Amino acid sequence: MGALDGRSAIVTGGATGLGRAFVEALAGEGASVTFCDLLAESPDIAAEVPGPGRVQGIVADVSKLDDLRRLTAAAQDAFGGVDILVNNAGRWRRTPVTDPYEKASADWDFIMDTNLMGVLLLSRLCVPLLIEAGGGDIVNISTYYVLPARSPGTNNPDTDLYNASKWALNGFTQAWSRSLGAHNVRVNALCMGATDTAMLRGLWDGEPPAEQVAAWIRPDQIAQQLLDLLADGRSGENIGAWVGEPVQLGPRKPAHRTVTG
Amino acid sequence: MGIMDGKAAVVTGAAVGLGNAFARALADEGAALAVCDLRPDIEGFADQVNAPTLAVQADVSDAGAVRGFIDQTLHRFGRIDVLVSNAGVWTASEASDPIDKTLRDAASQIGTNLKGVFLCGRAVIPAMIRQGGGHIININTDHVHTCGAPFEEPGCDASNCPFPDTIPRPTGGGPAMDLYDAAKWGINGLTFGWCQALKPHGIRVNGLCMGATDSHMLRGFHNFDPPPEEEASWMRPREIARVMIELIAEGPRGRTGENIGFCMGRPVALPPPRANPYFMESGRAV
Repeated sequence: MGALDGRSAIVTGGATGLGRAFVEALAGEGASVTFCDLLAESPDIAAEVPGPGRVQGIVADVSKLDDLRRLTAAAQDAFGGVDILVNNAGRWRRTPVTDPYEKASADWDFIMDTNLMGVLLLSRLCVPLLIEAGGGDIVNISTYYVLPARSPGTNNPDTDLYNASKWALNGFTQAWSRSLGAHNVRVNALCMGATDTAMLRGLWDGEPPAEQVAAWIRPDQIAQQLLDLLADGRSGENIGAWVGEPVQLGPRKPAHRTVTG
Repeated sequence: MGIMDGKAAVVTGAAVGLGNAFARALADEGAALAVCDLRPDIEGFADQVNAPTLAVQADVSDAGAVRGFIDQTLHRFGRIDVLVSNAGVWTASEASDPIDKTLRDAASQIGTNLKGVFLCGRAVIPAMIRQGGGHIININTDHVHTCGAPFEEPGCDASNCPFPDTIPRPTGGGPAMDLYDAAKWGINGLTFGWCQALKPHGIRVNGLCMGATDSHMLRGFHNFDPPPEEEASWMRPREIARVMIELIAEGPRGRTGENIGFCMGRPVALPPPRANPYFMESGRAV
């Protein structure tokens, strides 16, 4: 018996790194998982996931609306609907302020079509399915940049667009948690520091220094945080994870006095 | 004599409302002004101020239009000392909207409110670097500067809040604002990245995060017929513009990387500088 038996999950960018860890953790708890990735080997990777939940891997680009429609249709056709959406797929690129204007303009599309529009459009497609299922979860994968800094190095000045794309997710997490609460749909974000993923390793030409790698958060730790979050039931929170600290869900944020103004 | 004598300022969305108040306040301080707006009536702006003025109808979400507007400004005035990225739009959008509506809403709101800030900033930064200084002011909202749920502003709680009993407190966004809020939250990524990257060049970058202010947008939200008691509670564009001038007057050694909050029911004033909680420089908060 798994905690997520009978539930259908979508994970974007699920072939490697964090996304792969999310897929394995969800399937490990019995969820049926549909993941997408740009990697052509995605269907084969799906076949390798131990389960017990069933897993299918779709080659799809979250920046393309037709691909997103194909992704949600695959989850519906194979597993009858969508209960959990993990918006994990993301792109990173250095975009220093001294770049030429033409590059900046092209970088906007490169980063935002995936990190912002991909999250927006896939979530729009999934919201009716989540409501139809009687409730569920949207989990946006963000960064510790959006949480108060505990060390230097956050909000990298050379990645303004990546930073902006992740900050923008706050608007979705915040607004959706409020408007979908009545439908029993919870919306949260995981905001992790340096985690051992392909995106992070890509910053080095060769192998990153071993002592640095040893300090990084492991994807399976964040995947456990995801499972804990799904079991917890909170909504509207940015949940942090920091290098050098235990990765945990942490207590719920205290309820604030909310006055419309 | 004004603090902008001999200097040039760019204000986007200056035809009406807050942007208009910002532009007039800068003109009163002696600035040469380049203003743009989607609205064709921007072209009458020159008649409103006694200052050298370039007024252009332009869409800040259009990379080519922004390039053209900034090039024209530099050709005319030779420099840009202040950029006020003010242009913003709002239409109702929410999680359950259909895709076609969402695509339109995103093109408008992400396009104007976030991409516009990005494009204008990136277009003026090379000129500011060449000059060895400048000030970018991004117009944001109290939705990103909240002491209410669900994302409270770090370091802003009842124990240190100068106005703990003031009601209403900012709560971070209302209904039907998911794209508006995403765009405005996204501005933080630009403000906090740029302030660090541009500090060595003497360029400051700050955000103004105001609650309900008597703007064209807010009047539009109420179908241009706001309830009188609500209208009376709004902050005034002139007051916000006055604080913006104070912020600019801090000069090259003034604060940078700060979101300055304006909350209804509290004095509209420039608060003392405050460390930005979201990044550290040289191992300590700046």
